[in-house]
Order: sequence, then structure tokens, then C-alpha cells
Amino acid sequence: MTDSTKPTFVGKLAPRASFWTNNKGTLIGGGILVALMLVIPFTASSSMMNIVVFAMIFALPAIGLNLLMGLAGQVSLGQAAFFAIGAYTHAIMLTKLDLPGPVAAAIGVAAAMLVALLVGLPLMRLRGHYLALATLGLGFIVMIAVREWDVTGRTTGIYGIPRPTVFGIPIDNSGFFLWFITPFVVIGLVLALNLTRSRAGRALSAVNDSELAAESLGVNTYALRLKVFVLSAGFAALGGVFYAYQVAIVSPTTAEFHLSVSILLMVVIGGLGSVWGAVAGAFLVQFLGEGMREVIPAIFPGATGEVQLLGYGIVLILVILLLPGGLYQATITLWRKLPFARNRRAADAHATAAEDDTTIPQLPAVSTPVAAGEPILVISGLTKRYGGVVAVNDVSLTVPAGTILGLIGPNGAGKTTCFNMISGALTPTAGTVTFLGQVISGKKPHVAASHGLTRTFQNLQVFTSTDVVGNVYMGRYRKGRAGVLRGMLGLQAHEQGAHRAASYEILKSMRLTDAADDSASALPFGKQRMMEVCRALAAEPALLLLDEPMAGLSGHERDVMAELLRRLRTAGLTIVLVEHDVAQVMSLADHVAVLDDGVLIAHGDPETVRNDPAVVVAYLGTDLDEAEAELNELEEHA
Amino acid sequence: MLTDFLQLTVAGLSQGSVYALLAVGLIAVYTVRHVINIAQGEFAMLAGLGSIWLVSAGMPLIVAILVAILSVTLVAIAMERLVISRVKNLTPLLSIILTLGISTLLQAIMLLAWGPEARGVPLFPGTNLLIGGVSIRSQEFWMMGALIVVGGGIVLFYEKSRWGKALRACAEQPVAARIVGISPVAASVLAFAIAGFVGGVAGVVASPIYLSLWSGGVLLGLKGFVAAVLGGFVSFRAAIIGALLLGVIEAYVAGYVGSGLRDGAAFLILILVLVVRPQGLVLKPTAVRV
Repeated sequence: MTDSTKPTFVGKLAPRASFWTNNKGTLIGGGILVALMLVIPFTASSSMMNIVVFAMIFALPAIGLNLLMGLAGQVSLGQAAFFAIGAYTHAIMLTKLDLPGPVAAAIGVAAAMLVALLVGLPLMRLRGHYLALATLGLGFIVMIAVREWDVTGRTTGIYGIPRPTVFGIPIDNSGFFLWFITPFVVIGLVLALNLTRSRAGRALSAVNDSELAAESLGVNTYALRLKVFVLSAGFAALGGVFYAYQVAIVSPTTAEFHLSVSILLMVVIGGLGSVWGAVAGAFLVQFLGEGMREVIPAIFPGATGEVQLLGYGIVLILVILLLPGGLYQATITLWRKLPFARNRRAADAHATAAEDDTTIPQLPAVSTPVAAGEPILVISGLTKRYGGVVAVNDVSLTVPAGTILGLIGPNGAGKTTCFNMISGALTPTAGTVTFLGQVISGKKPHVAASHGLTRTFQNLQVFTSTDVVGNVYMGRYRKGRAGVLRGMLGLQAHEQGAHRAASYEILKSMRLTDAADDSASALPFGKQRMMEVCRALAAEPALLLLDEPMAGLSGHERDVMAELLRRLRTAGLTIVLVEHDVAQVMSLADHVAVLDDGVLIAHGDPETVRNDPAVVVAYLGTDLDEAEAELNELEEHA
Repeated sequence: MLTDFLQLTVAGLSQGSVYALLAVGLIAVYTVRHVINIAQGEFAMLAGLGSIWLVSAGMPLIVAILVAILSVTLVAIAMERLVISRVKNLTPLLSIILTLGISTLLQAIMLLAWGPEARGVPLFPGTNLLIGGVSIRSQEFWMMGALIVVGGGIVLFYEKSRWGKALRACAEQPVAARIVGISPVAASVLAFAIAGFVGGVAGVVASPIYLSLWSGGVLLGLKGFVAAVLGGFVSFRAAIIGALLLGVIEAYVAGYVGSGLRDGAAFLILILVLVVRPQGLVLKPTAVRV
């Protein structure tokens, strides 16, 4: 009932694939959930009803936290803080200002999202543990604030929250309440599912595989993560709004740390990144909590209070140790074992499909914003120092459009450092990089990418969590426009279909069509390198930076690559490549630049550079006089 | 007026000493394993509640305290061996979930074993002093003394002893450390043992005044974290200074603004520091990335 049922070859479908095919999992799952919620009030006992109602309330913050953890790769330990902000704001609007229910609820959700925005603006820039601990702190701040403030009713909280009415029917029992909340949970679920499959969602999961590669394709990681964080707070607040309705009292316990822990547990049990898992997790944790509250006092007489924490702690540890993917992973594993599940094709099917033909069937589109020969990239005085070590020293270069520049030099000469400064992965100590008239040095890689500069990596940066076509598809990120909101509403199927078709075209040009649906990490090294080039080309760049594109390729693959690069140049693309294979560079490049010890020692056409004594020294490792003497000697012999 | 101010400063410094010990434990584990140990505060509560139980069972105070600290050290080692070391690819996300699970489990065990009430270890022996109108309780001397002896000892251990240098090597150059024969397993166990030990010491010296509560560890551990952030998560000295500063600021907030707001101060400082200066109070950049 999850994404696993998606068709394996979407690209062959027309861009407007049928609504049913694209959304089968969501529709079936949503249908089952709605049917269950319709029936439960007629069959369940009152204690069971209680569990189900609270599971549905907490499913909302769990879905939000799941988006944050699965997509943004960040964990919030303060989900209860946003839950409480939603609940309190809603309660205050209803009881003190007598606002209508929907308005009060909207203000409650907006308040939590605003707080998340204010906290997230500075904190989403930091990596690792900081967001987790700052949100943990935020939980305590919210709890202290509501306890100390008269408006929030101090320790007693706010009570007497009026019941909502729908079409004149008061929602005054658990059955009605369940029907009241179910549509909201289903809508939230669909929005979240859409988001994970949208352009933004795919970009974020690419960021989790390789932040550098994703940013080099134009993904603004910070902005996307911030949006997801704000969104997750909104989901939590919506849960708080319903909580205030159902319990009719909002007290400081809604901000408690243990509530944040239980929401986290829901996500972990369900499986990180699985929206359905979060909903299932919400039910499981409610059942687990209720069970523990009954069982523990029987085993330990006199035990009172939050005894269910014993189960929460044990389950948290065990899930991470034994089943890190949670229920989602367990379901997928079981599903694959069922006899009628469609088995994926053998992964090595494409390995045999070797062809001797080096012609390129189709050439991917390139963008040519300036006329051939005009300067497209201007590097001036580029310098990088690490403490006392100068990795790149005062390098100045101009790259004319429509040409190939080869950057060569011995190991450790600073070639990749240069590359990283051009693409924005490193900030130069001094100097500037100007691309198409815009200064791009010192800015994040996505800035350069958005102007049309794409790169590949010496150490491959493959998006391992998706297939080959998924990787190339990410290259299309720059060409897409759909944002988080459009993604959630599912209004981008057309755009996505077009980009997917384009990705297949590009794979075809590099003869990788056979491997399109294979997991990217299962691909042989050489094919991964080709795939990275495809991914970069998918962005339709104006300037392509290739860091050792030939390394690890077979002789035949090298020929295909060289032919492709030549034809791309003819089509008007500008290429800068770092390469160890000097012979290949000399035959491909229009200009060659040589770096040695961070200094640009030669720059010119391949013939001049080949005969430059300084270059000979750099490669042979002797000093200049000796080299000249040797050269003279050689010439005399000749 | 001045007496009040000095009185609050003394209270803040003694409370800050406890935060400093917790920060030392957090940094010890972080530098070696890159794990933020959310259960650090639970070590303190466990030692406090354990001592109270041992004393009530008839054990002399000093023996009870030593047994409790030793037991908590063993709990920390067990946590490393049974849980932390079992995960191969410990991302920040997983390490937070995992240590949070341990923290929750320890809280539940304390709740089941010793009930929901806050309790205090009997006061340590000593006499209260009155200097110029400022009274300093003997227990506050114990708290500050614990920081000087234990915290100072750990700093010296890291900077002077062979094992301490090995731990630092593991943090800065894990591969190189392995090549020269430092076992990453031993380093990790040692780091957790240090974290358990300092947490235990902090818990028992603070308990007579600030009490031990099954659920109090998260808040306390987070204060230690705030101090560790002030130390950029690499510098013990900066974290200790940060912790004392935090304790004093909290005391002033409690004294001059309102006692209910005292805990809020720490987290406002945390968020401010993360916004303005995420590298903490450390002045020169270090090799260790945070």
C-alpha cells in the first residue's frame, strides 16, 4: 500500500499518465483508512475508541515529524512544543476572543509555523545535532512560558473550550469526533505523500544521499529544509488544535518532553521517510502506551505515572538496533517474499549489452547564452590557503564559450581545489570567479548551478537511494519550477512526466537505457561515472565542469565519452575538464592549463603546452636547467 | 544589595559546577564517538537516587556515594557496549534517537524503582560559612570542590596522560590513531566511563540541595549541553567557563526576574549562541569539526 507498488517504467507512459496509475497506493490506502474510521465507532469499546481517537490526533504531528526526519534529515525533539502552541493558541482564540472555530484553528496553526520559521531561520543552517537540542530547549521554553503567563492560565491551563459544530451538529462524542478528524488526517496524509514524491521531496532525499551533488544541481538545501521544518510544525499544531477540541482542556503537559518522545517513537516505529508508517506508528504507540499502563502496575505494584516510558525506551532502542527502517522496511521485505510480488529484473542484465559503436544516437540539449569565443568563465587571482599551505596560488584564466579547456597537473597540484572554488563547494581565500558576468565565487553551489554551471565529481557522488533514471532526473531540477506548495497539492505530474521523459532521452544518448531502472548503487563504477555525466547534462548547462571523467572507464567507454564531449562542444557547450589521461586531454582540448603546486605554470593550445619546459619539469620532477639540458640532448640525438 | 548579588553569584557558581561536570561528560563522549549523549543527565539522577536508596538501606553516606558513582560508571560502559557500539553507521540522527531511547529507559527504571517524588541525599559533612554577610553552605563547597578535583583531573588527564592523549588523537585523527595502535573500542569505552563517572559525581554532590528526580535528567543534561555548546563541543576549559557563566546567569534571573523563568534563561542563551556564534567561546579554530 506504499510507493513500492509504483510502476517500474513510468517514463514509457505518456506525460499525462492516468490518475489511477499514479496514485493507486494512496487511493487504496486512504480508502481503507476511511472505511475503518467509518466503522469503528459502531463496533469499538469506549476504551478502544479513546485509543483510536488519540492515535488520529497524534498521527498529524507524527506525519509532520516524519517529513522533517525523512526529507530534511533533521530531528526535532520539540514537536510537542508546536503541538502545544497550536492547542493553546486555538483555545485562547476560542475562549477569550470568541472567534469561529476554523479561524481559531487557522491562527493556531499559523502561530506554530511562525515560531518554527523564527527558530528555523538561524538553526537550519547548522548541521547535525543542533536542531534536535535547540528544539528540545524550545519545548522547555514553551512549557515555562505557558506556566508563567496569565493569558495561558498558568498551571491550570485553559478549560471550557467549546465543542465544534459541523452543519449544526455538535461534535460531542468520540464517534462524531473521529469522523470530524478523519478527513483532516487523510488530507494531511495525501499532502505529505505528494510532497515526498514531488520535485522538492526528491531533491531533499537527494540531499540526504549527497548534499554536495544536490547543491551542484541547483538545490537550495537550506531553503527547502526550512520550508519542511515550518511545515512539520504546522502539522503538529493541527494535531494540537484537535486535541484542544477533544480534551476541552489545554494544560502545560501538552508541551511535555515525554510527548515529544512519543511522537518521535511513532515516526521511528513506522519507518523514517514513510508517511504511512507515521500513521501506523501513531496507532501502535497508542496501543503500546495503553497496554503498558495496564500491565506495568500489575507487575510492579504501586507503580504510577508515566510507566509507559519503559516500553517507549525499550522499543526505541530495539527498533534502531534491529529494524532501523521500522514497519515500512518490514512490510517491504515481507512483500518482496510473497510469491505474487513482481520481481525486479536481474541487476546484471545490462552488463552484457556491450556495443562497439561509438556514435551518439542523440545529443542532449545544451544552452548557449553567449556566442562562441566570448568569455563565459573568468577566473582572476583565485587563491586558497589552508593555514600556511597554499593549495591554489593566484590563478587567473579566461574560458571562451564553445571550447574545451583541459586542466592538468601532477597529483596535489590543486586541480580539484580549483574546481571546488569555481563550483562554489569551497570559498576562495582571495580572487573571484565570474560566470556569465555574475560573480559566483564564495556563494553556495546552487547559485552557480542556477546560472547554468554543472559539474561531476572525482569521487563519485551518486544518489544511492534512487535508481539510475532517478539520478538523471535530479539533473533536471534546475529546469523545473514546482515548489513545496505545488508539490503537496500534486499539481506537477505534467512537469515531472516531461522531465522523466527527457531523462530517458539522455540515458539513451549514453547507451545506459538498459540500466535505467537499476539501483544506482548497484551499477559498476564506470557506468556510475557515465551516469554522473548524464545527470550533469540533464541540467542543460552552459558550462560543464568534469572532474576526471575518464577515470575508471574502459577503453570503449572512453571513446564514447570523448566523442560525446566533442559533439557537445560542436553544439556550443563549454567544458572544463580535469584529467589524468594527458593523451586524451591533448587530443580533446582546445586549450590546456597546467597547474603545479597551486601555480598556473602554462596555458595555451595543446601543442605549445606539450613543449613548454616548465611543464616537462612538473611532470618529470627535475629542475628547469636539467630539463632544458635533457631536452637539448634529446633534440641533438634527433 | 551587594550581599544579595554575591549570594546569588555563589549559588550560581555552585550550580554551574554541576553543569560543568555534565558538559565535561558530554564533550568526552562527543570528541571520541561524535554522539551527543542525551542520557548524560540521567547518569546524575541515577547516582543521586541510587545513593539515597543505599543510605536508606543502612550504608554509610560515603560508601553509598562511591558505590553509586561506580555503578553509574558501569551503566555508562554497558550502554556503550550493549547499544552504541552495535550500530555500524551511527549518523547524528540515529545517535540522538538511540541515546534518547536509553534516556527514556533509564527514566522509566528510576520511576518504577524509586517512585515519582523528588528526594535528596543527606547533606555532606561540613560547616556553613558566613563571609561578609554572604552565607556559603558547606554543600556548595562540595559542589565547587567536585568540579575542581574531578573536572580539573579530567582536563589534566586529557592533556598530560598517555591515555588522555590517545583519546584526543582518536577524536582528531581516527585513522592515524588506529594505525599507531590505539584501539577505538577501548577509547570509546573509556570515554563513556568518564561520562558516567562525572555524571555520577555531579548527581551526588548536587542532590542534597537540588534534589534528585526520575525525570530531572533531561533538563539537567540539556544545561550541560548548553555549556558544551559554549565550549564549541571541543574545549573542556571553555565549556567549564561557559557552565559557570550559565549557572550565575540563571541565579540572577531566578533572583531578580522570577524563579519560574530560571530554566528559560538557559535555552534562550542556547538559541542565541547557536545563532550568533555556533563555534562557541573557543577563540581559535580547531582541527575537530563540529
